[in-house]
Amino acid sequence: MLHTLSCAPGHPAVKDCIALLRANDALLLLGDGVYIALQHSEDWLALQQSGASLHVLDADARAAGVRQRLAACFTVVDDDGFVSLTEQHAQQMAWY
Amino acid sequence: MPLNYCLLVLAAPVSGHTSLTAARFGAALLARGHTLERVFFLDNGASNGLASAVTPQDERSPQQAWSELANTHGTELVLCVSSAVKRGLLDAAEAQRHGFPSATVYPGFTLGGLGLLVEAMQSADRVITFGAAG
Amino acid sequence: MSTTADSGVLVVTRHPQPGRSLARAALDTALATAAFDQPVTLLFLGAGVLQLLPQQDSASVGVRNLRKVIDSMPLYDLEHYYVDAEAAEHFGLTAEDLPSGAMLVDRDAQRSLFDNHQHILGF
Repeated sequence: MLHTLSCAPGHPAVKDCIALLRANDALLLLGDGVYIALQHSEDWLALQQSGASLHVLDADARAAGVRQRLAACFTVVDDDGFVSLTEQHAQQMAWY
Repeated sequence: MPLNYCLLVLAAPVSGHTSLTAARFGAALLARGHTLERVFFLDNGASNGLASAVTPQDERSPQQAWSELANTHGTELVLCVSSAVKRGLLDAAEAQRHGFPSATVYPGFTLGGLGLLVEAMQSADRVITFGAAG
Repeated sequence: MSTTADSGVLVVTRHPQPGRSLARAALDTALATAAFDQPVTLLFLGAGVLQLLPQQDSASVGVRNLRKVIDSMPLYDLEHYYVDAEAAEHFGLTAEDLPSGAMLVDRDAQRSLFDNHQHILGF
C-alpha cells in the first residue's frame, strides 16, 4: 500500500505511520512531511529501516527549500510519479 | 489500464497548499488517461467551494484549480452539504431556505450528501484522501 | 461491518474531537457507508482513541457529545469497531471505559485491517 505523510518531523502520526509501514509499501512525503527527508536530520532512519520505497514530492521539496538536501534513500517524484505510485498500490493511507 | 479514481478532500484551501496539490494530482491522473468522476469535499475541505474567497494575485486559486477539472473533464465537485452550510457555503436552494440573498458556492461545485461519497467509492478503483496538517 | 479481504472501506480516525471536526466527519462517513449497506470498518488509532473517553459532557461548550454518537452506532449496524491497544493503554483507557463494541487491536492486527480493505480513508 501507499502511505502519504504530510506531518512535520516529531508529529505523533509519524510514529504511527512508521509502526504500520511494511517492506512492500511505498511512502510519499509531501507538505511539511518533506522535512523528514532532510539528509542532516536523520529523521528518516526509521523509515529506511522499514524497507519500504521512499519518495518525496518534487513541488513540495522545492517549495520548502529541501530539494538539494535530501537523504539519498529518497526518490523525487513529480505529480505524474505520484499518480504512478497510486497505480502500483491499490490502497492509500493519508497521515497528516 | 485506465483506473477510476475518487478523491476525498478534507483540507481547507487556507490550510497550507494541500488542496492545490490534490487538484494538481487530479489533473495529472486525467493526463495519464484515468478517469475522475467525482471529488468529494468534506469537513474543512468544503471551504474549497467558497465563491467569495479572494486569492492574492500571485497565488493560485483553489476554486479555479478545481473548477478547471470540472470544465475540462466533467468531474463532479461535490461539497458535503452539512459541512458546507455550516461554513456558509450555500447553493441557490440552501440560500433561499435559510433566508440569505444569494448563493455563495463557486460555479462548478454542487452540494450533496455523504451518499455521493459512498457511491463514488463503490465504483472507484482508487480512493485517494487529502487531509491537512493544520 | 465486514473484514472480508479486498472488500469494503476502512475508516481510520486519528484525531480527538476538541479543536477539530475531523472526528465527527469520520464517524459520519462510517455511519453513512453502513446506512447504504456497504461494508465498513472503523479503527480508532493514536489520539483518536480519546474519542472513546466515557463521561463526556459537551453541553457547556455547545457541540454534540461524540461518545453518545459512538454509543448509538449499533443502531446503524456498526456494532463493532477496532481500537489501538497501545494508544488506549498510553492514555489510561481501561476495558471498563470502552464501549461494548470496542475491540482492542495490536499493530499487526491493525496492519491486517489495512491489508484487508479495498479503500482506506485516513481522518
